[in-house]
Amino acid sequence: MTPTVAIRVLRAPRVPRSSTWFLASAVVLAVFTVGAVFAPFLAPYDPDQVDLLNIQAGPSTLHWLGTDSVGRDTLSRMLYGARTALLAPLLVVVSSTILGVLLGLVAGWRGGWLDAVLGRIFDVVFAFPSLLIAIMAVALFGKGLVAPVIAMSIAYAPFVARLTRSLVTAERTRPYVAAYRVQGFSGAWIASRRVLPNVTPIIGAQSTLNFGYVLAELAALSFLGLGVQAPTADWGAMINEAQAGLIGGYVLPAIVPAVAVVLVVVAVNVIGEELSDRIGGGISA
Amino acid sequence: MTLLDISQLTLDLPDGTRLLDGVSLTVAAGETVGLVGESGSGKSLTARSVLGLLPSGAVTTGSLRLDGLSVLDATAGQVLELRRSRASMIFQDPRAGINPMRTIGDHLTEGLRLCQRMPNGEAQAAALSLLESVGLPRPAEHLRQYPHELSGGMLQRVMIAGALTSSPHLLICDEPTTALDVTTQAGIIAVLAEQRAARGMGMLFITHDLNLAASICDRVVVLSAGRVVEQGDAREVFLHPHAEYTQRLLAATPTLSRPRERVVAAPSDAPATLAPPAVLAPPAADAMLSVRSLSKEYHRRGKEPVAAVVEASFEIPRGGALGVVGESGSGKSTLARMIVGLERADAGDIRIADRERTAARTRAERLAHARSVQMVFQDPYLSLDPRITAGHAIEDALRLHDSRGTADARARVLALLDQVGLGERHAQAQPRTLSGGQRQRVAIARALAIEPDVLVMDEATSALDVSVQAQVLAVVERIRRERGLTVLFISHDLAVVRRVCEQTVVMKTGAIVERGRTEEILDAPQHPYTRLLIDSVPRPEWEGERSATP
Repeated sequence: MTPTVAIRVLRAPRVPRSSTWFLASAVVLAVFTVGAVFAPFLAPYDPDQVDLLNIQAGPSTLHWLGTDSVGRDTLSRMLYGARTALLAPLLVVVSSTILGVLLGLVAGWRGGWLDAVLGRIFDVVFAFPSLLIAIMAVALFGKGLVAPVIAMSIAYAPFVARLTRSLVTAERTRPYVAAYRVQGFSGAWIASRRVLPNVTPIIGAQSTLNFGYVLAELAALSFLGLGVQAPTADWGAMINEAQAGLIGGYVLPAIVPAVAVVLVVVAVNVIGEELSDRIGGGISA
Repeated sequence: MTLLDISQLTLDLPDGTRLLDGVSLTVAAGETVGLVGESGSGKSLTARSVLGLLPSGAVTTGSLRLDGLSVLDATAGQVLELRRSRASMIFQDPRAGINPMRTIGDHLTEGLRLCQRMPNGEAQAAALSLLESVGLPRPAEHLRQYPHELSGGMLQRVMIAGALTSSPHLLICDEPTTALDVTTQAGIIAVLAEQRAARGMGMLFITHDLNLAASICDRVVVLSAGRVVEQGDAREVFLHPHAEYTQRLLAATPTLSRPRERVVAAPSDAPATLAPPAVLAPPAADAMLSVRSLSKEYHRRGKEPVAAVVEASFEIPRGGALGVVGESGSGKSTLARMIVGLERADAGDIRIADRERTAARTRAERLAHARSVQMVFQDPYLSLDPRITAGHAIEDALRLHDSRGTADARARVLALLDQVGLGERHAQAQPRTLSGGQRQRVAIARALAIEPDVLVMDEATSALDVSVQAQVLAVVERIRRERGLTVLFISHDLAVVRRVCEQTVVMKTGAIVERGRTEEILDAPQHPYTRLLIDSVPRPEWEGERSATP
């Protein structure tokens, strides 16, 4: 017998409990996104403008978050920095999702030797830390954001592909797929038009979680001097440049971008977790 | 002496939904009370309330006394004590109720060791004697085995033994045999009856199967939508039902024996009642579906191959209906899957409308195959795409096979839905908002959209309530009459097969052991296995000359 009404009610998802966290995270992300998009209008100064009278200044009405070691306004640089900080991970997430879903769908749907071969390829890519792959790409193709973004897209694709594969494998054995087959639909049609849309929400939630990791890793890359190049404002690069000042007690130019990274990563993770909870079946990383 | 006394129990969910509405019933020691009703009637909920297993935030009124203890007002400690020593429960699916990582011995002794502080040796001895008493063949060996090593029927016996470890005064059985084959069910019922008699327990027996309830219960309580619609002596309720709902339920329940003489006073708007199968179009000489020496083996790594289907041959004339009956593992589903092309046969051939069924390679072949045979699956909750509305699902099938315009397809979707008794409202509905019966009718409409020569129904009504099953069977019967559809009807339920099919084959471990006219097979079975199947079907003690349980 099917579960009775009461049992179904028992098992139904509860009213989202931590919606305050979810809301706060959404607000944080929205603020940074708006700041990045409208940086030229919102930033009080040009990110590269040097104020020689106020070098390593503390917060003041002129410079709300102080200035760095060459007198550039920290708030302005953080707003401009948000552009690369948010755009690059977005590109990585979108391209790794597209690549991963395609590979995972093929592996999960076809199974057999193709699945085995793809699985081993994923294993090999997994074996290299994504940051290392990005650094190798930089070594081969030169500094900047393009090479790391492409490298990270490849490095993150197996995460998406694994998830897609396991979801599609489970879905493939469901009776509704057999029903489509009996009706005469082709395998390609069932896989792309019916199975894929059914697993997309879970993959989407997982990819959201990837965004946070990619952001942190790209910031690390810039911090190491391999990503965004000076003088372009970028959170990782800003922390790097502020290192020297730390010893002298000028912590603000390092703290501000670091807090920005933490805020965005946490916000994205909260949203990703909440999404996968709500959708169900999501694997929280 | 009254053991369990429920009076005027109501249960509301926090959102105001009333799930139980003034339920009253009593169970005396040594008595079996059947709680019957369809899904959603509140029978499981009533039983769970006895053990204090209420949905979170539920609001209850009324009283529920077990052994003099008011369960609804009991403290957590008292409820714990109640579950440890006064009442136990057996659930429907034994595989879900036993920890798969622990041995049977662990499962049985856990409660004794932890709750009653019994020394390990004594607990082992107690478990051993319990396993013996529930009729398991090798108790000492079973204690060291894991759940996956036992069959479903054996596990259910383990569950019963587990429920008896605490020597409960009341045993609650929640559909304990629904997931089991009839022959296994007969054994389980015998064990339960024996233990009840030996221990003088009260038993609250929940089931949707009226015949089963009639065969073992002293009294029955009929529930519908959270209300008690009728209760009384089992024989009285079954032979002279007063409530209209009970009458409808009884009328919708197919029975194995010849149709009752007693005419049920079912109102005209009641769901279709089960008349004996009308004489349908006389079988034409040409065979629509012909299966010859079909075989299929499953090869398992490192194990002996399993013969799922062995040399099966049969024919169905145009417009005929053939029933395939057998227990789980008899190969009937594999047979169906080979006919519709979901599995490839190892040997033998399948001809539909004089066309050989081979592997489809091109689009044209695939579509031609789909037009020759369609299938209705067992579980309508799984066989419809959860994201696609009912109308869209039918339209997809229509447009794949017929490139007429959108407007025309829409109109035909509605016509098809109308044919299975659904309307435009249902076309827009997501599958999850439809009931099981509605879903199964959508699945039938979707299969008919392709206008197949043969319709394969694989346990298509076994997941449905009896009244819904009656509706679905009525739809199938009408379509057969109107369209001359040929049906292969696979079922474990002999009574349903009797209702639908003129011809029947009986399968056992992959082989067809008996075939012939349905009535002849059911009334005068030749093969011992068929006889065993028929004898295992529960029936009221007062009906027929065969005993209820072997």
